Amino acid sequence: MADTTADTGAGAPVFRVDSVSYRYRETVALAGVSLTIGAGERVALLGANGSGKSTLLKMLDGLIFPDQGHIRALGHELSAEALKDDGFSRMFRQQVGFVFQNSDAQLFSPSVREEIAFGPLHLGLSLEEVGRRVDDTLHIMGLEQLADRPPYNLSGGEKKKVALASVLAISPDVFLFDEPTAGLDPKTVSFLERMVLQLSDAGKTVVTATQDLELARVIAERVLVLGEDHRLAGEGPPDEVLTDRELLLSSNLIHDHSHRHDERGLEHIHPHSHLTDHGHQHG
Amino acid sequence: MHIPDGYLSPQTAGGLWALMVPVWYAAGYKVKKTLSARQAPLVAIAAAFSFVIMMFNLPLPGGTTGHAVGGTIIAIIIGPWAAVIAISVSLTIQALFFGDGGILALGANCFNIGFVLPVTGYYTYRLLSRGAAEDSPRRWFAAGIGAYVGLNLAALITAVEFGLQGDLFKAADGSALYSPYGLSTAIPAMMIPHMAVVGVIEAVMTSLIFVFLLRNNPSLLHSYDGIRAAATGRLQLKPLLIGMALLLVCVPLGLLATGSAWGEWGAEEIQADVGYVPQGMDRYLGRWSGILPDYAFPAAEEADTGEEPAGAVSLEGVKESVPGYMVSGVVGLALVGGLAWFSTRLLTRRSRKKEQLD
Amino acid sequence: MTEDAALPDWLTGHGRKRSRDWTPGDSRRQSAIAGTLLGLSRLVRDSVFSEKIASRPGLLQNLDPRIKLVGMLSLLVTVSLLRNWYLILPLYGFTLVMAAASRISLKLYIRRVWLFVPIFTAIIVFPSLFNVVRPGDPLWVIRDFGHQVTLGPWSLGTSLAITYQGVKGAVLLILRVVTSVSLGVLLALTTRWADLLKSLRVFHIPRVFVLILSMTYRYIFLLLAMAEDIFTARTSRMVGPSSPREDRRFIASSMGTLLGKSHAFSDEVYGAMVSRGYNGEPVISHSFRTRPADWFWLASVTLAIAIIIGGDRLLG
Repeated sequence: MADTTADTGAGAPVFRVDSVSYRYRETVALAGVSLTIGAGERVALLGANGSGKSTLLKMLDGLIFPDQGHIRALGHELSAEALKDDGFSRMFRQQVGFVFQNSDAQLFSPSVREEIAFGPLHLGLSLEEVGRRVDDTLHIMGLEQLADRPPYNLSGGEKKKVALASVLAISPDVFLFDEPTAGLDPKTVSFLERMVLQLSDAGKTVVTATQDLELARVIAERVLVLGEDHRLAGEGPPDEVLTDRELLLSSNLIHDHSHRHDERGLEHIHPHSHLTDHGHQHG
Repeated sequence: MHIPDGYLSPQTAGGLWALMVPVWYAAGYKVKKTLSARQAPLVAIAAAFSFVIMMFNLPLPGGTTGHAVGGTIIAIIIGPWAAVIAISVSLTIQALFFGDGGILALGANCFNIGFVLPVTGYYTYRLLSRGAAEDSPRRWFAAGIGAYVGLNLAALITAVEFGLQGDLFKAADGSALYSPYGLSTAIPAMMIPHMAVVGVIEAVMTSLIFVFLLRNNPSLLHSYDGIRAAATGRLQLKPLLIGMALLLVCVPLGLLATGSAWGEWGAEEIQADVGYVPQGMDRYLGRWSGILPDYAFPAAEEADTGEEPAGAVSLEGVKESVPGYMVSGVVGLALVGGLAWFSTRLLTRRSRKKEQLD
Repeated sequence: MTEDAALPDWLTGHGRKRSRDWTPGDSRRQSAIAGTLLGLSRLVRDSVFSEKIASRPGLLQNLDPRIKLVGMLSLLVTVSLLRNWYLILPLYGFTLVMAAASRISLKLYIRRVWLFVPIFTAIIVFPSLFNVVRPGDPLWVIRDFGHQVTLGPWSLGTSLAITYQGVKGAVLLILRVVTSVSLGVLLALTTRWADLLKSLRVFHIPRVFVLILSMTYRYIFLLLAMAEDIFTARTSRMVGPSSPREDRRFIASSMGTLLGKSHAFSDEVYGAMVSRGYNGEPVISHSFRTRPADWFWLASVTLAIAIIIGGDRLLG
């Protein structure tokens, strides 16, 4: 694992989120979140159900926009207005890829092949280039056998692979994963983990929203925790954050009782002053 | 109500395609304006929903089952124009992949189920629920009535389409070429079960779904209001609708009063038509003479006297009349379709210009 | 409920008397829900099956879908134009030949075609055989009343008979329906639906409609799975029969739930499309390429149509 690419921070940050708030009708999803994600970083966004991590991810992908606060992406203001510009929108969509939690929402095409072709086609690539990318993507994901299958009779793991393939074919520099491993079999999970590390090795930025602590430990070099109050509750390297029981407890990521049994006797919780809200930003 | 292929003459089926093209055009324009890029997923999923809803079997009194169409509730939620496209798409998939409804008859089915039903249902609902409070029972009642009216109007138009086949399309010996029943049989055969049972199911289901949504997901019932409010640059669809309504009335009437309405189109062809059309109509009227004893239909009588041997039409005359009708029918419908298309074209262009000025 | 709470007795089974009795023969009551479930699963099975046939090599499978669509539609129009029933027969025969050449089991093909629509048509057309419903020359007099019979406003004539015109019309209608359905089934069975939808572009159907059609087809299966879940959950929880009234209420709430879910879902799908560059202008690509064989097939179909229509016009 090439950790060297990690802390570069040399280039401009990929995302700079500045005290962003968002609500769905009456429910608060995000309450003043600020963070920065640097180019080439591997970041896990930890949070319990309903903590707003999916919302944040959708914002990073320019699908929804903050009620308050600002987001800068790739050095540009990210807003509905900005994305109306065809040039910026095409550039942004080409550079940022999003793997949705619900593969069924992401797979809307009649066949696996067409699903993979959708992104490159709509981003204006030539037909030959699209064909080449589709074939290559099918090959690296091991999906050749499924190329002409309609998505409705794929297994959950296969769907996830196709969803990832459909994003890979765009060749983005930034990957956003929403709960990539939820409900998948262990084999697919480890496949995805390896994939994330490989992408990172290739210099891609990977942001993964998850509530799976084990996944965060394996794929992240920096962990951000979204608390129950829809604010950033903490951040740091995984071995720090993931051993901070108090933080994890307060963020509802672990249960008070669930680990006592195993950890009794060798309990060593890092004392760790809470970094709330705006503290500790990269870049 | 899905008409299979084989029941409708190509003239009727083609004519309804010609009617449907401008409707789709206008609906597509309207939907693009209101939903922009969002239209594809929303309409597609509404179409899938409409497909699935038609598969839900409903228990009927007496142990049988039937199914609802759900056109009205879909129109309430995504708007009548998006509903036109959604239901048409659903009907297309049923016809192409599942053999439910014919492929040539798709224009007819889309017209009846995909256009008349949701648009009538929706506007009836709007009319009856106007000014009703959020939780007023009048709203779900209006939805039910809208569904009932929409479904029955669609059934009536379907029955007219069927009935025209029986009355107009006959071989030289009088045997039916397509659906064998005339208007006098097709209308009661279609309307009695629809008014008594199918329409009631549609109404009850629509009301039940409406109440369910009111309690569990009220924002859904308002989603179209939001879309409508946000829409700019409105396409005037009233002229199109009025034209359609006139057409609907005129086509069957024109066929009834053969001597007058169709005569204006082309005297030659119609002269031949008169040979057999009134015969069918005569019987149709004669059957009902018990009910309407003192009521005379001048047009039919006129036609009768026009053709001297009213009862005994020579075989030659009838033979000629069929292609004659075909020609006049096709020409007439093509004309109507072309006019409708042209007028929507003009309308959309005008509204587009206006928008640019704005 | 906290996670430490002890499971209640009714859940653990302690001190509970289990009901093991069931009454057979009460299935009719559940027929609506069971029927729907059956319909849903049959639909999925049928379409998986169609995809399987469509990906096998065969005459129609190998044709360019655009050519095939044009040819099949021309045949459909021809079937609807013919006025002599015996001229539809060769066209029906032609569909059988095409089915065999496309390696579709004839038994299955014939069953699929005849099973529903033609039987339904036969029932519909039955009354028109009688002179009471549609006058004509009697072919077989069933009963001679000897005097004018009236029923309300209708006059029924002096005898009850099956007419020559009635039989002829019925035969013509059924043949027309069967051959039309056959052509539709052949088209659907031998064409991948993605290809079929894309070939609609031949008729200049707007791209966005083609996109909507393909997405609809795909999401029908998702909604079907959702519906099936709702229904299975219900049937597995069901203790004893439910009244039709309850069933209706349940079905309405299922539809409402489905409507809400699918509406919310469309937002998600929209996001997924936008994320990959969709901006309301769909791009549809295909790799169809016509070969001489396609044109040869279309030419022979056209020739057959010309001969048959010519014959029909000659015979009157």
